Amino acid sequence: MFERALNIFWILLGGAAAAYAWTLGLVGSSGPDSGLFPFISALIVMGAGVVLLLRSPGEAVAPDFPRGAALGRVLGVAAGLAFMAVSIPYLGFAVAGFITMIILLRAVEKSGWVFSIALAFISVVVVVWLFGRVLGMTLPRGPWGW
Amino acid sequence: MDAFGGLLTGFGVILTPENLYLCFLGSLIGTLVGVLPGVGPLAALALLLPITFTLTPVGGMVMLASIFYGAMYGGSTTSILLNIPGEAASVVTCLDGHQMAKQGRAGAALGIAAIGSFVAGTLGVIVMTFFAPAIAAVAIRFGPPENFAVMVLGVICTLYMIAGSLVKGVLMVALGFLTAAIGIDVVNGRERFTFGSIDLSAGIELLAVVIGLFGVTEVLNNVERVVKSTVVTDRIRGLWPTLADWRASWRPMLRGSGLGFFLGLVPGGGPVTASFMSYALEKRISAHPERFGNGAIEGVAGPESANNAAVAGSIIPVLSLGIPGNPVTALLLGALVIHGVQPGPLFITQRPDLFWGIVASMYVGNVFLLLLNLPLVGLWAQLLRIPYRVLFPVVLLLSVVGTYSANKNVFDLWVMLGFGLLGYVLHKLAYDLAPFVIALVLAPLLEQSLRQSLAMSPDGAMIFLQRPGTALMLTACAVLVALMFRRTKKS
Repeated sequence: MFERALNIFWILLGGAAAAYAWTLGLVGSSGPDSGLFPFISALIVMGAGVVLLLRSPGEAVAPDFPRGAALGRVLGVAAGLAFMAVSIPYLGFAVAGFITMIILLRAVEKSGWVFSIALAFISVVVVVWLFGRVLGMTLPRGPWGW
Repeated sequence: MDAFGGLLTGFGVILTPENLYLCFLGSLIGTLVGVLPGVGPLAALALLLPITFTLTPVGGMVMLASIFYGAMYGGSTTSILLNIPGEAASVVTCLDGHQMAKQGRAGAALGIAAIGSFVAGTLGVIVMTFFAPAIAAVAIRFGPPENFAVMVLGVICTLYMIAGSLVKGVLMVALGFLTAAIGIDVVNGRERFTFGSIDLSAGIELLAVVIGLFGVTEVLNNVERVVKSTVVTDRIRGLWPTLADWRASWRPMLRGSGLGFFLGLVPGGGPVTASFMSYALEKRISAHPERFGNGAIEGVAGPESANNAAVAGSIIPVLSLGIPGNPVTALLLGALVIHGVQPGPLFITQRPDLFWGIVASMYVGNVFLLLLNLPLVGLWAQLLRIPYRVLFPVVLLLSVVGTYSANKNVFDLWVMLGFGLLGYVLHKLAYDLAPFVIALVLAPLLEQSLRQSLAMSPDGAMIFLQRPGTALMLTACAVLVALMFRRTKKS
C-alpha cells in the first residue's frame, strides 16, 4: 500500500516537473534550451513510476517500518534535528546543540540527567572549540554573542 | 612528464611535514571510521569535508583520500572481532573472520587482513601510477559528444552493477538529474524549479544531500534497534601469519588485488562489489569450499585485498576523466570542485602537483595504515566498547556543523533533514541511493555536454552516431541495457 502511494507520487512528481520544464522551453534559437534536460529526466521519473505501479502486487516490497519504542526513537532523532534547524538562528549553535543533544540522549536513549548534561556539554564545547576556534569556521551565534 | 618523473614530483609535494601530518591524520580518522559501526566512509568524508576548506587543495585531497582507503583497513577489525561490519565493504569478512576469532585465531585474521590490505593497496597504486596518465592521454582528445557518451556509459554501468530493482535504479538516476536542475541554468542564467525562493536559486547543496542520505539515514536506521553484540576481547596474539597462513593467502591476495582493481575502475563497482566478488571467486575455485564460512583464511585475505585495490581503481576515473563510479568518489569529485579544481583529462597536465601528490600520498598512506593497524589493533578493539547511544548524538552534531559550514545557510539543515528522512524511507523500500548521488554530481557536466553537442551538430542527435568513439560507447551502453533487461526478465 505504502509503495503504491509512493509510485503514484513519482508519477505526479514526474508529470508536474515535465510540465514545468516544458514551460522553460525545450529548444531555442541557439539549440537546446533550459527545459530539455529536466524534461527528459522528469519523463523518466514518470515512466519508472508507471512501471513500478503496474508491477504485480507480489513484487512490491513490504517496508519494515518500526513500531512502538523503535518508532519513537526514529521520530525523536528527526524532531531533535528539526528543533536544531528551527532554533539555531535564534539561540546560536552552542545553545541549540546543547539542548538538542539533551533531547536526543534523554528522549531517544533514556540516558540519565547527569550523563546527558555532561556528554552534551563536553560534545558542544569540543565541536565549538575545534570548528569555531581551531579551524576558524563561523558557527551561528545567539543574542549573547556565542 | 613520464610516470616516474611525475611520481618524484608527487613525493616532493607529499614529503612535507604538513602534508605528511594530514596523510597520517586522514589514515587515523579513516581507520577509526572503519572500526566504528554506523559511521561509513561516505558520511565521514561528508562530515569532514568542511575541515578541508581551510587547507590547500593538495592537503585537503590527501586527507580525504586517506580517510577513504583508511576505512577499508579499519572495517575488517569490527567484522572480525564483533561480527558487525564497520563499513559495507567488510560485510563479507564477517563470514570467516569472526569464525577465526571464535576459534582463537583473531590475531591471524587481523594480521592477514592488514597485510592483504597493504599488498593490494600498494599494488593498486603502482598500477594507478601508470594507468591514469594513459587514460587521460586518450581522453584529452574528447569533445562534448565523447564526454556525454562517457558519462552516459558511467551511469549505465552503475545501473548494471546495482543489486536491487533496475527500474528503481533508473528512477533514482532521473531524480538525481532533476534535483541537480534546481537553481540557475549556467548556460543562460535562467532560474529553474526555484519558484521564487532565494534559497533554491543557489541550487541544492551536495554536502547537505550526502550528509542527509548517508549520515542521517544511517543514524535513523541504527537507532530503531538496540544492537547487542559480543566482542571477542581475549588478548589478541599472533598477528604475524604462520607459514601455513601465508601459503593459503598469497594467491587470494593477488587475485583479490587484480579483481578489486578492475572492479574499482568500472562505474558502479568499487570496494563493496569487489569484496563480494572476491569471496565468491575464492570459494568457487577452492578445493575445499566447505571450509568457507567456518574460518577459512582465504575468505579474509581475498576480500580484504580486493576492497583496498578497488579504492585505487575507483580513484582513476575521477582524476583522469572526471567521472565518479561510486558515491564516495562522487564526493571526492565534489570536494575537488569546491577547491576550484575541475578533474578531467586536463587535470594531470594542469595540476601535476595535485594529481601526483594524491598518488604519492597513497603509497605513504598505505605504510601508515599498516603501522596503525597491526601494532595498535588492541586499541582499536577497545574503541568498539563505545556504545552507539554515545556516538550517534555526536554524529548528528557534526552533521549539522558540516552541512551548515558549506554555505552558512540554515536552509541547508532542512535539506539535510529532508533527504535524511527520504533516504530512510527509500532504504526501507529497497531503493539504492548510490545512483542518485552519482547522477546528482554528474548532471551539470552531462547536461552541458549534451547541450554543447546538440548546439554544434547540424544533424541534431545524429552527432552521437557519426563520431566513432561516441558510437562505440553508446553501443556498449545499448549492450549493457539489453543485458540488464535480460537479467530482469530472468529474475
